[in-house]
Amino acid sequence: MIELEKITKKYPGQAVPAVDQLTLSMPEGEICVLVGPSGCGKSTILRMINRMIEPTTGVVKINGHDVTNTDSDQLRMGIGYVIQQIGLLPHRTIAENIAIVPRLYKWPKEKIKKRVEELIVMMGLDLEKTWGKYPSQLSGGQMQRVGVARAMAVDPPIMLMDEPFGAVDPIARTHLQDELLRLQKEIKKTIVFVTHDINEAIKMGDRIAIFDAGKLVQFGTPEEILTHPVNEFVENFIGHDRVVKKLNLYQVEDAMHPVQCVVRENEWQNVAQTLKDAGTEVAFVSDQAGKVLGHITLSDALELGGDVEGFKKRVLETKKAFVQSTTPLPDALSLLLEYNSDFLGILRGEKLCGMLSFKDIRNHVYKKEGE
Amino acid sequence: MSWENFRVAIFDKAPDALFVHATIVLVTIMIAILISIPLGVFLSRPKYKRFGLITLNLLNILQAIPGIAVIALALPILGLGMKPAVVALLFQSLLPIVRNTIAGLMGVSPDVKEAAGGMGMSQRRILFEVEIPLAMPIILSGIRTATVYVVSIGTLAALIGAGGLGNLIIGGLSLFRPEYLLVGAGLGAIMAISLDRLLSYLEYRITPPGMRVE
Repeated sequence: MIELEKITKKYPGQAVPAVDQLTLSMPEGEICVLVGPSGCGKSTILRMINRMIEPTTGVVKINGHDVTNTDSDQLRMGIGYVIQQIGLLPHRTIAENIAIVPRLYKWPKEKIKKRVEELIVMMGLDLEKTWGKYPSQLSGGQMQRVGVARAMAVDPPIMLMDEPFGAVDPIARTHLQDELLRLQKEIKKTIVFVTHDINEAIKMGDRIAIFDAGKLVQFGTPEEILTHPVNEFVENFIGHDRVVKKLNLYQVEDAMHPVQCVVRENEWQNVAQTLKDAGTEVAFVSDQAGKVLGHITLSDALELGGDVEGFKKRVLETKKAFVQSTTPLPDALSLLLEYNSDFLGILRGEKLCGMLSFKDIRNHVYKKEGE
Repeated sequence: MSWENFRVAIFDKAPDALFVHATIVLVTIMIAILISIPLGVFLSRPKYKRFGLITLNLLNILQAIPGIAVIALALPILGLGMKPAVVALLFQSLLPIVRNTIAGLMGVSPDVKEAAGGMGMSQRRILFEVEIPLAMPIILSGIRTATVYVVSIGTLAALIGAGGLGNLIIGGLSLFRPEYLLVGAGLGAIMAISLDRLLSYLEYRITPPGMRVE
């Protein structure tokens, strides 16, 4: 746990403190995102945790211990540090770069080698090809993978990340974010993550702290912040698509509802009647083996009447309108629009487990707004 | 001109002169390196940066004094021989190395230093394992410049009895034997060029593969 107690940082010649009387505690094993516009003091706060900057007044505590009691080099060796500019040593190979902190700890050579190999593989880099290369021979995304690997080399419980993915291209950034989240599920580090991008904050953060001009404006889970922005500043910072952004917090299975009607392919003649009896608008159609093929709506069924070919064609048109239950809600929304469909079938593996309509999304959001 | 004079110059006089000249150059450059690199490091530390400009200006003035004047000035103070010659030549060789050491260290990317510090490398380690290795190609190029200076100005050392290739040149002038002069000057040029090439190769080798400009 990292606790900041009444931290103030004032630079000489500045009228306004860069950080003003900040008290904040970041729970263990979570990603805490510090977000705000440029110059709001978020990087300064991060750098005060590993004493790259010393606060003017106030105390920083890690697990209850004041950080100024530890020698600053020793302190930093035990905290992972990733910066936007990466800062790989250009005269050292990738393996040597990752080995820096283990070498500071004087690990035996064999242990270092094993750990470096493990990290290169863990970061999804090609071991043989990457090992002996120099940083300038890698792409930006690969370099930042090495930067993250280097910070995790001695498995520090705390990682500080200062806009770590800010300088890589959008595709690599998404990959890196996803991988960090995947890793975090296993490694459960306390991560302090600085960004100016609210979308990244919502995606990465277990908790988000929003700053403006050195002051903490709001601190809470992404859901709390998106649901109840405390003031206009936060509202503006989130943007007018606040509710759409909120969809990012949910997966399809949070919003779906159960399927009421599944029919076999050969029961097509009765579909309209079955739907009317069931009092529902849509039927999912499966083949004899029980594999779902698509769906048909009541209005389509009525319109087609006895046209079997038309029925099959209609069902086949919807064969792509299925998503896995863990799909993020915005992706499902996009698919609904893309397939020009009112319904998506929700699968868990191969099995149909629910369905999703525009109305479900609306209801879910409405419910969550009310909470 | 006579072949006999050439023979004497090349086979009797040159080996000794070359050896003495090389000794003067090597000793001077060694001492210059030992003084200049620590001085450059010192002047590039944030705390002492303010002394940088004044030191460089001072060295500039030393450099601006013509070599022959320095050698002449050294004579009454330090006497004759190799020692005063080395001291006089040092004046000419400090500036390029100090200047390049500072430039090299200042040129190390702040991001790299920040990351190194953030990982817990001490200031000392950062200096020896990050800054100096990264600045080395530029420092070496300063040493190269200084070496070439010293080889050429070193010929003047003969004026105060230090010997070297200057002996051949001065001897050639006073005895009206252009052959001596040509041999002395030619060997000086060859020495300067070969040392320059050698150091330039070293500079290339010392630049890590990832940073070489091919």
